[in-house]
Amino acid sequence: MILVVDPHSGIPVYRQLMEQIRFHVASGVLSPGDEIPSTRTLSAKLGVNPMTISKAFALLEEEGVLERRPGLPSVVRKRRDDRLQATRIKQLEEALRPIATKVFQLGLDPEEAVAVLRRLLDTDKR
Amino acid sequence: MDSVFETHSLTKRFDDLVALDKIDLKIRRQSIVGLLGRNGSGKTTLFRHLMGLQLPTEGTVETMGTPAAQLDHDELIRIGFVPQEIRLLDWMTVQQHLRYVSCFYPEWDMDRQKRLQRELELDPTSVVGALSTGNLQKLAIILAVCHHPQLLVLDEPVSNLDPIVRGRLLEFLLEVLQEDQATILVSSHVLRDVEKIVDWVVCLDRGRLVADEGLDELKERFAEWRITSRNGDLPSRFSDTFVLEQDIRGREARLLVDNAQADIETFQVTHHADVTTRPLNLEEMFPLLVSAEGE
Repeated sequence: MILVVDPHSGIPVYRQLMEQIRFHVASGVLSPGDEIPSTRTLSAKLGVNPMTISKAFALLEEEGVLERRPGLPSVVRKRRDDRLQATRIKQLEEALRPIATKVFQLGLDPEEAVAVLRRLLDTDKR
Repeated sequence: MDSVFETHSLTKRFDDLVALDKIDLKIRRQSIVGLLGRNGSGKTTLFRHLMGLQLPTEGTVETMGTPAAQLDHDELIRIGFVPQEIRLLDWMTVQQHLRYVSCFYPEWDMDRQKRLQRELELDPTSVVGALSTGNLQKLAIILAVCHHPQLLVLDEPVSNLDPIVRGRLLEFLLEVLQEDQATILVSSHVLRDVEKIVDWVVCLDRGRLVADEGLDELKERFAEWRITSRNGDLPSRFSDTFVLEQDIRGREARLLVDNAQADIETFQVTHHADVTTRPLNLEEMFPLLVSAEGE
């Protein structure tokens, strides 16, 4: 799993981490039971404050993505398939939100926009 | 004692000049705090009060639970301080100076000293009086951290260091935070460096406290809004109180906003416009925290 943060983006680093871990879980790079590097390791590797990392882990635990275990590395939790699918859809929606605004700004007909997306998806299937 | 540094209504006046104006501050243990402010905003004066080098005109200052005026051996041995103006013993070599200072501390960590000399690239045979400003800063930093201080205070520690050495120093500070469970206070104009490591931001403007907030909270507070009208021109000016700066060109506008009071949905409906938001980084939000006029 590769985590990359940009401390100079206005997005708080803990949010960047949460988003990437959620994505890795949703896309299957991380499977249930997989261990997550410790706060200490990640802090040294990414060069960010350890508090930031534990904040991300704590919130992901609340969301049910991770399970923190005292004295042991955190692990990815097993989730029901329908829950996992719901988070995939949610992530896609977040990513498409700015695109939707762009569609309005360009004055495109929604049907045309959807057609473009469909074409791109077909091309990518190859 | 969960705070390492606490002030109540701290005020310092130099004749007519109010250098610090009723500062109420409480620095939590085991965090890295960035002290920001323009030149002359009171950062160095605040640090000098923390160290007991200056005494308040009014109000109180406590460092590690002790009134700063009464700091003694027991507290001072747990503090590391790199002042902005570094005065060391010019006639010694780097090596001699390190040995001299280490004698005062029973807990001096020789491994850490050697490692830092290597990582910060400081030649032990140089004479202190002949060091460049950057190298003098490196020496002062090494002198301040090898006794594993519980409280480390750095006043503009990176201003004369090159980007590579600065990067190594920042990594080292994160390590000190974890290894020594220290509290680190660092003032700097290099906001990109500050942003990388701090979890808390304290900002002074002309002696007044204008921010005392977590870095994440600050980032979530300020944003840039790009606005496009859905029909016709936008108003010539937005009077909403959360709008801090605005630049309106016909159908488009760019605003800087304080999210705490802003409501995008309502805004979009009221002005028939689409809003795309982007959070601001520390460098971009700094001008919003301090006043633009000079000293």
